[in-house]
Amino acid sequence: MIRKLTFLAVSAVIAFGALSFDLPQSTEDPGDRLIGIWEPSNGRSRIKIDRIGNKYYGRVVWLIEPNDADGNPRTDINNPNPDLRNVPLRGFRMCKDFVYQGEDQWSEGTLYDPNNGSTYQGTITMRDINTLDMRGYIGVEAIGRTDVWKRLKMPSKKK
Amino acid sequence: MIKYLRTVVIAVLAVAAVSCSGPGEVHEYAVSDLEFTLEGPLFAGPNSGQTEIIVDLKEILGEAYSEDMRISDARMTSAEVFPNDSLGFTDVSAFIVSFASDNEDVSMQEAAVKNPLEEGTASARLDVAAEAELGELMEEGKVYVVLDADLLEDYWDGNRNFKLNFTIDLTIK
Repeated sequence: MIRKLTFLAVSAVIAFGALSFDLPQSTEDPGDRLIGIWEPSNGRSRIKIDRIGNKYYGRVVWLIEPNDADGNPRTDINNPNPDLRNVPLRGFRMCKDFVYQGEDQWSEGTLYDPNNGSTYQGTITMRDINTLDMRGYIGVEAIGRTDVWKRLKMPSKKK
Repeated sequence: MIKYLRTVVIAVLAVAAVSCSGPGEVHEYAVSDLEFTLEGPLFAGPNSGQTEIIVDLKEILGEAYSEDMRISDARMTSAEVFPNDSLGFTDVSAFIVSFASDNEDVSMQEAAVKNPLEEGTASARLDVAAEAELGELMEEGKVYVVLDADLLEDYWDGNRNFKLNFTIDLTIK
């Protein structure tokens, strides 16, 4: 009887152990909630945010006006580095080097404005899972401008 | 007067620092067949692949290496992309190569671009951005190499694969 009970107890422990190992464990970094496609408030572009190493970067993936007046794809003509003025604007990485700081905030990054070739320091605050406050500033964070970005759903396969 | 003397002393020290630092020695750092997979589904427009490299001065310099050596400057001198699957460069209209690191104080740098990519080409020799200073990134050791490919059409049937060869002139002091 004792041997039978011991066998049952050991079996139960082993079964529980196996079950414990099978439980799903969340390995996703909380900073990864930033990953996705976002639309700035003016609706003229869409930005896809990805992760490289432990930092986050945003590329232009859609432009309302993808071509210039001559019908050619727009490039980063205002880039301060002349060698990079031929970089396509669609695909340009305008948010760089953002690091998750906890409490729904990413900072230490830069925001680039292709309209004037200027780079600003930036912070990103997630209001909710679908809304970001993107703040660009020079020097002092209190003096800057905030734009609200909305998350877009990933497109599904064409029928 | 004291203020004037202080300014002169700072100026002399600055000149001395520049003079003593010297031009450094330039070594070519070459990487071949660096593989990139752009994971599908891929959408028309820019798509990225990334891979890590370790820049190990000891390995690069061999017997010439000493512990106090540092990379003071790095400039890309060539970059060439090759297809690494049967699709070749189908529907690819541009490539960009960038470098990044985990260090919060070191920013990502675009280093080479090919736009537009000519149709029917077997390899893409990129135009390097000579002004892009990669020294801080290379000094990090662990560096992320990022290849962006601009696609003309969506691609839903799997991944796209490319290889990259590049050379960088490392100035070592």
